[in-house]
Amino acid sequence: MVMRMFGYTNKILFVDLTKRQVKTEPTDRYAKKFLGGRGIATKILYEHPDALVFMTGPLTSFVPSGSRMDVVGVSPITGLLGGSSTGGDFPSALKFAGYDGIVITGKAEKPIYIKIDNDEVSLESAEEFWGLNVFDTIDYLTHGHPDLRVACIGRAGERMVKFAGISFSHRNLASRGGLGAVMGAKKLKAILVHGTKGANPYNPMELMSVFQEIQESIMESGEFLRFKDWHRNFVPTILNLRMPYFGDYEREWEKAQEAALKAREFFEKHTVGRASCFSCPLRCWGLVQYDGETLPINLCQGTFPAAVFTLKIDDPELAWKVYQKCQSEGLDMMSTVAVVAYASRLGKVTLGSEEILDFIEKIVRREGEGDIFAEGIKKASEHFGVPAVYVKGGMESWSSDIRPFIGSALISAVADSGSVNRALYGFPEFYYYIKKEQAETVATRFVGDIEAAYPWSYSSSKVKLAVLWENMHIIADSLGVCVIALLTTPLELWAQAHKAVTGEAITKEEFMMLAERIRSLERLFNLKYGKGQDEISERLFTGEYGINREELNRMRLVYYSLRGWDENGVPDPNMLKMLGLGDLG
Amino acid sequence: MPYLIVHENRCIGCHTCEMVCSLSHEGVINPDLSRIHVIGYKGEKFPIMCLQCEDAPCELVCPMEAIHMDGNIRVVDDDKCIRCKMCTLVCPIGGVLYDYISHKMIRCDLCGGDPQCAKYCPMDAIEVVPDEGVPESRRRGVRVLYGEAD
Repeated sequence: MVMRMFGYTNKILFVDLTKRQVKTEPTDRYAKKFLGGRGIATKILYEHPDALVFMTGPLTSFVPSGSRMDVVGVSPITGLLGGSSTGGDFPSALKFAGYDGIVITGKAEKPIYIKIDNDEVSLESAEEFWGLNVFDTIDYLTHGHPDLRVACIGRAGERMVKFAGISFSHRNLASRGGLGAVMGAKKLKAILVHGTKGANPYNPMELMSVFQEIQESIMESGEFLRFKDWHRNFVPTILNLRMPYFGDYEREWEKAQEAALKAREFFEKHTVGRASCFSCPLRCWGLVQYDGETLPINLCQGTFPAAVFTLKIDDPELAWKVYQKCQSEGLDMMSTVAVVAYASRLGKVTLGSEEILDFIEKIVRREGEGDIFAEGIKKASEHFGVPAVYVKGGMESWSSDIRPFIGSALISAVADSGSVNRALYGFPEFYYYIKKEQAETVATRFVGDIEAAYPWSYSSSKVKLAVLWENMHIIADSLGVCVIALLTTPLELWAQAHKAVTGEAITKEEFMMLAERIRSLERLFNLKYGKGQDEISERLFTGEYGINREELNRMRLVYYSLRGWDENGVPDPNMLKMLGLGDLG
Repeated sequence: MPYLIVHENRCIGCHTCEMVCSLSHEGVINPDLSRIHVIGYKGEKFPIMCLQCEDAPCELVCPMEAIHMDGNIRVVDDDKCIRCKMCTLVCPIGGVLYDYISHKMIRCDLCGGDPQCAKYCPMDAIEVVPDEGVPESRRRGVRVLYGEAD
């Protein structure tokens, strides 16, 4: 008999595309040890390494900013564990349909999509709309019906462009790691969900009260204030704050300031409204109307600034078209701009020009040399014999220069399930240059050392802070809560919400233990199925701004020891036993 | 009893109103069981709920005379109601719905005077005003929106 659970639906949908079989498995098998989201998804992937796993957390659809879902599979770009998370309306819709997650194994012969209408799940032909971009696919499947939610790939995913993401609506994208190419390889064009069953909390009255406390806490935070008008100011801010790189990893661009100001004007002129994901008060999406079309944009991961700075586009309208292009094709913006900028170094495309749009189209269609660039920056650099910048496993770097931010350099080398996005959102060193005092206060409070706030610092305290930050991300990604919101609010409140939703008490220490367990499991996955070491590309160590290799290595060893791993990054058997992973060591 | 006014330009489409409405009335989170609905209109989202119309179509169409005013809230008499759902069809704003779990017609009851949707809306897009405080311009705006004024 299936146990009654609160918070969870206690059903995970398993879809075998090869055998065209659909079944469900109870979630309670995994929930106690791996919580949900990123934790459960990683465990299931460990058992089924060819799977693509979509997993919500126990708080998904119950709390403010609780609209997240984690997506995990083997990344085609790194051959390692690839993870990315998404918000929007799809995660809660999946839960309302009665599923905590979806596990997709095998491969279809012909293009298909999965149709989920509460208890009815079917595999349908997608041949008629294979070839449509993301926006057209959504229109095709929903006909504008507001209660239907779609996860899909665009043409880039279909053609297995190695940095294609999975799109959830016109805005949310599980972008990093190339998981869209995994869907493409499985010939799975889309998942359509309609859910009307709702979600049952253990104690509704207690949830009403903790919901209010969490909402107030988020709305009193600096994040809430910051998002008020941030679209207007974000491009100039990021220029001063996070040191974007220009072109193919250059430190200077004479037009940077001017381009940033023009971008601000663009957003002042074209922003028509604000939007949030399901349940979230943060309204971090700006609705931008351009050329008759309204498209949402979120700048927290720096997608638009990446178009401006990496591609040296001082015309914001062109930068907007690049953003539009990447969103409609389902491309990871960070990787796309890195690849295009690298190609410009080889003389294949001119930055700042309309040529960029054609070049992206060539990548999407894998036309001519586009086929080589579609394999990612590392493969392209091996092909052309010109060194490129990339992080662990060959994934393209994110849009900030890694070299001035040593914490991001460390995580870029040791992360197992993707880029710094999964560990360091809001890390003090990133805002040090505009909020020095706040960065220093946070560093002192958490690790007792002001130096952990300095972007240039190689200190062990910085490693300690990075481990703590990564744990917070793992907790957020596993609970199904947006990490931006999670960081604004004390863990104790999230624990109270967990109690009200699931009926199970959890302490702060237990949260941390869960994070350690999930992190070590990610490492075990890569040791078992992946290859490659904790390294970043050679180019990052060379030249005037190069990272100090010895110092970074020393930090890496400190990171390993804090995680309970040996000097090769292998989890210690006793540590695994303590974490309850003894059977996997 | 107060009145609810929607400032549609403030809405960010987070559906928090639907969450707390269904949670406080039904003990579950389910937008489909919420008395207030966030609807999309030309790319924008805003909530809408029973506006306690004068000459309400739901009341007029009901063959069993099961819908009547109780104070300034329109209620459904479950014993008289035959679940024909005519009221859901005629309501111009979708303010009446059918709870397919408990098999009852449900609609906004203003939470007994303390509307939770207004309390939890992070953008203050839903405002509670006393009946006499509804500005005439707002009333007129609603009438224009639904084609009932020149």
